[in-house]
Amino acid sequence: MDWLHGAQAVFLKDARLELRTRFALNALGLFVAAALVLLRFALGDTAVDAPTAAALLWIVIVFAATVGLGRAFVLEEERGTVLLLRLTLRPSAVYLGKLAFNVALTLALNAAAALVFLVLVAPAVHAPGLFAATLALGAIGLAGATTLLSAIIARTASSGPLLAVLSFPILIPLLFFAVQATRLAFEPGATWAAAETDLLGLVGYGGVMITASVLLFDYVWRD
Amino acid sequence: MPTPDRDTLILPRYGVGWRVFTIVAAVWMTVVLCLGFLGQIAKLPILEHSARNLYFHVPMWFVLMIGFLLTGYHSLRYLTTGRRLHDVRAEQAAVVATVFGVLGFITGTIWARFTWYAGTNVWWNADPRQVMVVIQLLICGAYFVLRGALEDERLQARLAAVYALFALTTMPFLLYVLPRRMASLHPGAEGNPAFSEMDIAPEMRWVFYAAVIGFFLLFGWIYTLRVRIRAAELRLAERRQDPLTV
Amino acid sequence: MQAALDTLTTARDTTIALLDTAAAQAVATQQPEGLDRIMLADDKLPVVLAVVLVIWIGLLFLLFRTDRRISRLERELKD
Repeated sequence: MDWLHGAQAVFLKDARLELRTRFALNALGLFVAAALVLLRFALGDTAVDAPTAAALLWIVIVFAATVGLGRAFVLEEERGTVLLLRLTLRPSAVYLGKLAFNVALTLALNAAAALVFLVLVAPAVHAPGLFAATLALGAIGLAGATTLLSAIIARTASSGPLLAVLSFPILIPLLFFAVQATRLAFEPGATWAAAETDLLGLVGYGGVMITASVLLFDYVWRD
Repeated sequence: MPTPDRDTLILPRYGVGWRVFTIVAAVWMTVVLCLGFLGQIAKLPILEHSARNLYFHVPMWFVLMIGFLLTGYHSLRYLTTGRRLHDVRAEQAAVVATVFGVLGFITGTIWARFTWYAGTNVWWNADPRQVMVVIQLLICGAYFVLRGALEDERLQARLAAVYALFALTTMPFLLYVLPRRMASLHPGAEGNPAFSEMDIAPEMRWVFYAAVIGFFLLFGWIYTLRVRIRAAELRLAERRQDPLTV
Repeated sequence: MQAALDTLTTARDTTIALLDTAAAQAVATQQPEGLDRIMLADDKLPVVLAVVLVIWIGLLFLLFRTDRRISRLERELKD
């Protein structure tokens, strides 16, 4: 129980700090909005079909996530609170707290991206439930893959574009499943059964990434 | 994790056994080259003589995979034992595997250009195997970038090991996803059974196996040389730091 | 006269196309051009040569790099 309390405390601390300044939420929201407006301008009045729309949406989400999710551990380093966390909590508790916060952040990001995308690019959503489920599972996978990597880059001298370099090759399976499921949701006659393997793939990807992260986080965290 | 100390860098002696290994590898590869050009092959349309590339191109891809698995194995051993030699081995396996991977990528592109895409002037067609190799090379590239971004030697070794293992966990997904998501002309894809040449000419199978073993021997040779050099460099740097204790 | 010559040329081309099945299959009876002409000759044997050469050059590259590192190591040992 102690352990879960620790994770909860980390999550609540991050959430409270975030709600005080709303820095990450604002930055991510603006990033997504600006990227999609640029996309709309670049497209002109070209009609976008389902596969292209799915691909564009997820590219924007993945880029936004690699820009916005890198701060979880960098902030602790900057504030000098790493040592305190290290002393008071078990590594897995820290990881779970940070993961929960990143999942929440990514869910917000995906919701914002989807809303702006629906307004600006206006694909026909034939299966809203499937679309929402894909966005939610995609958020868990994204956060699961990037949280450990953001802990890694927090220990480097210059974190700059490193998170993107490290995470893109790892995110490719996620991108495949998510784009496929989203494409199905955008096509007429969409059914949950058709997207079953993709949704299962997203669940499996998230599960494997989080399990591997919990096992490996110890080595990144300790000094 | 135990504190890494300098004697964890000491390599086994490379004596007579090693000399025998190098001679076997050299002779073996020479024989494979000869067999590859002179042996019987199944004459198929489109492939024709280029079917001989089976012996030279396919093992590159095997070496890339096994080489990166070796990186994963030594990364795991580094994390559990803290012996610096495992870190050296992990890094050098990744270096040599990357070179073989790049070769596999180039040779595969050339081969495809003059068989599947002959006369169309297409070099790149996003075939799943091509994409797969590119992803693997991107992972190797990210691994080296991460190593370069970390100054502290121990931290570099530990985080690189974590990244290698983390990247390896995505492999099953890639192996599952890619062939199903993209149409392929590559042997092994649906309706295009792997190595159909070998069913027609069984003797090709033996040359192919010999070629795979031969390239593994070559990989082992180059990899061992690089491990020895890297270990020597590190020990020299150590000696410079405190000349009295060594 | 010209017509007869044309027929003859066509007949020759057909014969070549029939004999040279490699070219015929590779580029639907079209004469290959440029790079294809070199690479598709002799039943595509040059493709094998290109592949083996690429591998050889790659291994040479590794060899040179390794050589340089040994030289550096030796220089440091001398200091």
